[in-house]
Amino acid sequence: MQPMIPRTAAVLTALALTAAGCGGGGDDEASEGLLVWIMEGTNPDATAYFDAVGERYEEETGTPVEVQFVPWADAHDRFTKGMAGGTLPDVAELGTTFTPEFAELGALADLTGQAGDTSAYNEALVEAGTYDGSLYGMPWYAGVRSVLYRTDVFEEHGLEVPENWDELRETAVAISEAEEDMVAFPVPGDAAYSVMPFVWGAGGGIAERSGDRWEGLLTSEESREGLTYYTDLALEDGVSSTGAATWKETDVQDNFVDGNVAMAISGSWTPRAISEADPELGENLGAFPIPGPDGGYSPSFLGGSHLGVFEGADTEAAWSYIELLTGDEFARRWTEESTYFPGKQAQIEALADSEDPLVRPFAEQILEASRAAPVSPKWGEVEGAQVLPGMVQSVLNGDATVEEATETANTEIEDTLNQD
Amino acid sequence: MTATTTPGRSGAAAPRPRPLLTRRRRRALLPWALLAPGLAVLAGLLLFPLGRVLWLSVQDYGLDNILSGETDYIGLDNYAELLSDGYLWRVALPNTALFAVVAVAATVAFGTLVALLLATLRPLARTAVISCVMIAWAMPAVTGTYVWIWIFDVDRGIVRQALEALGLLGPEGLNWFADRVLFYGIVTLNIVHHGFPFVAVTVLAGLLTVPRELHEAAVIDGAGAWQRFRHVTLPVLRPVFAVVTILSTIWDFKVFAQVFLMPGGDGANRQVLNLGVWSYLQGIVQRDYGMGAAVAVLLTLLLLAVTLVYLRSMFREEELR
Repeated sequence: MQPMIPRTAAVLTALALTAAGCGGGGDDEASEGLLVWIMEGTNPDATAYFDAVGERYEEETGTPVEVQFVPWADAHDRFTKGMAGGTLPDVAELGTTFTPEFAELGALADLTGQAGDTSAYNEALVEAGTYDGSLYGMPWYAGVRSVLYRTDVFEEHGLEVPENWDELRETAVAISEAEEDMVAFPVPGDAAYSVMPFVWGAGGGIAERSGDRWEGLLTSEESREGLTYYTDLALEDGVSSTGAATWKETDVQDNFVDGNVAMAISGSWTPRAISEADPELGENLGAFPIPGPDGGYSPSFLGGSHLGVFEGADTEAAWSYIELLTGDEFARRWTEESTYFPGKQAQIEALADSEDPLVRPFAEQILEASRAAPVSPKWGEVEGAQVLPGMVQSVLNGDATVEEATETANTEIEDTLNQD
Repeated sequence: MTATTTPGRSGAAAPRPRPLLTRRRRRALLPWALLAPGLAVLAGLLLFPLGRVLWLSVQDYGLDNILSGETDYIGLDNYAELLSDGYLWRVALPNTALFAVVAVAATVAFGTLVALLLATLRPLARTAVISCVMIAWAMPAVTGTYVWIWIFDVDRGIVRQALEALGLLGPEGLNWFADRVLFYGIVTLNIVHHGFPFVAVTVLAGLLTVPRELHEAAVIDGAGAWQRFRHVTLPVLRPVFAVVTILSTIWDFKVFAQVFLMPGGDGANRQVLNLGVWSYLQGIVQRDYGMGAAVAVLLTLLLLAVTLVYLRSMFREEELR
């Protein structure tokens, strides 16, 4: 009997310790040096790169740096847990949509003073990092989507790079007639960033801030025109596939790697991944900016990363680290290793003159036609609720007309962005 | 804690001379004392989170609350909003409940058939079949789900090719992931495939305890195979069926990965969400932790109600016989 009580107490103590351990893990080393979170899945050998940056930082400041890699898929959860448990890093890479959300919460430090003049940086990246007139996310690198295509297929059938929407449709139709086993131009139902260029290209939009309110733009005539063109590629012209109605961007890429796809909206970071998966296929890749309805380009979503400093960190020490990462030397090395685009406009312009046929079109897309998603703390929720994929999928599945689908999505976006 | 309350009860139930009472009390206490470590672990790992979810469900709890640590009590507002949401009644609840009914019935029926087959096999063959069945059981849910997605790949999958070869499907194909009923048809296949081994093995264990004499007597009375199953096997195995049905019900009500990982199942296709996925989307993805918790509580209550009703009917029949 007697020994039982201490044993129970021991179990409870052990439990309490475990619980405390869960909450406290991670920050025991942080107090010593600078704790940095970097997202994983952007660069295959990021460790060596960040070791070099860390060494240089310690040389310059005498403070050691600890870099922790966080998978993208896990990132938002990790930040949330960090907020709950008080284990946030000093500096972190932030997805562009995280920045306004965390800034609104007051979790991020205002970097306006440190950053000074940001006109050298890409405008869309700066816009995405700005909340309420202050800069919370320092532009770090950018990625954009254009059209990736199979040069061998184009050559075999004597096709040219399309320069407007009619040509894009004709090219796709020609491929699907000539190549029975191929998806000429997939229209993925579960890929928000693949539909945006068509909505924007037609002159429409997603949402716009007017005064205190966000106004949805999806129900505008132009937006509907863009969505109609996009979904009709699948429904009328048959250049997509039945299965693509539920594809994500990763499914598009997998099918591209398998040789099933002739051209597709793809990220600037995908050619390397495709070449690595199939070097022979990598020899036959080309890219072109997404054409506009009557020539020119359709704007594409400018994604990328910011560097942010969390409230409570030593802002000066954190800023020195950010300066090092965004400085010319390490920014250039990062671009070379990761195939992402740097955040400075001049550096992107240099890449627009690149000889590389898989770099130049994407650089042109960024410079000529790229846009940020609505910069709102609530935009992350719109993305989480998959409003745009839901809209495209309901049209592709025949559950709704373009009018109905845009109406539903527009209401949801307005409701979410305008909630307090 | 439990240990201090129990002895009073058992002491009151059995008034005995004093010296004996302490011994009795000691004997009554012993099981609780032995259970204490396990109960403490359960309390820490299960009851605490459960209470926390309940507490969250009566709050308007978002990311800002996580950062500030402040609570925002709103009473039953989350529940009121949830229960008045047409989406719950039209989509999430039917997807959860109807699917569970079909999946449980199919799992138990198929598992029982396999058990009956196993019972007639010789030991060597039985071991071989059980080993194969176990592989289906051992397969992780995520892996299994991806295999089913691959089998049912809309453009190039085996099923598509087979149906097309048989002339049942035109060249334009059919996106079964986009159709609510077909989507859950595939989920059901996945769940039955993953769940039937447990039923088969458990029912087999029960079958082996049915006295051979009962069957012999039934044969002499002229009972056929179905009548013997209905009037001999089934009554003897009633408690076994109760266990496998309740456990399957619990598992099938809270299916998550098998829906979430399917194309469109992560929220892009609103028509195919069930309560589990909806709770995750509301709570974690949409950062409305209070609402997510309310959906989770609703799911738990629903599960408790189903289990209670089922247990009651089970034991009432037991008493009647």
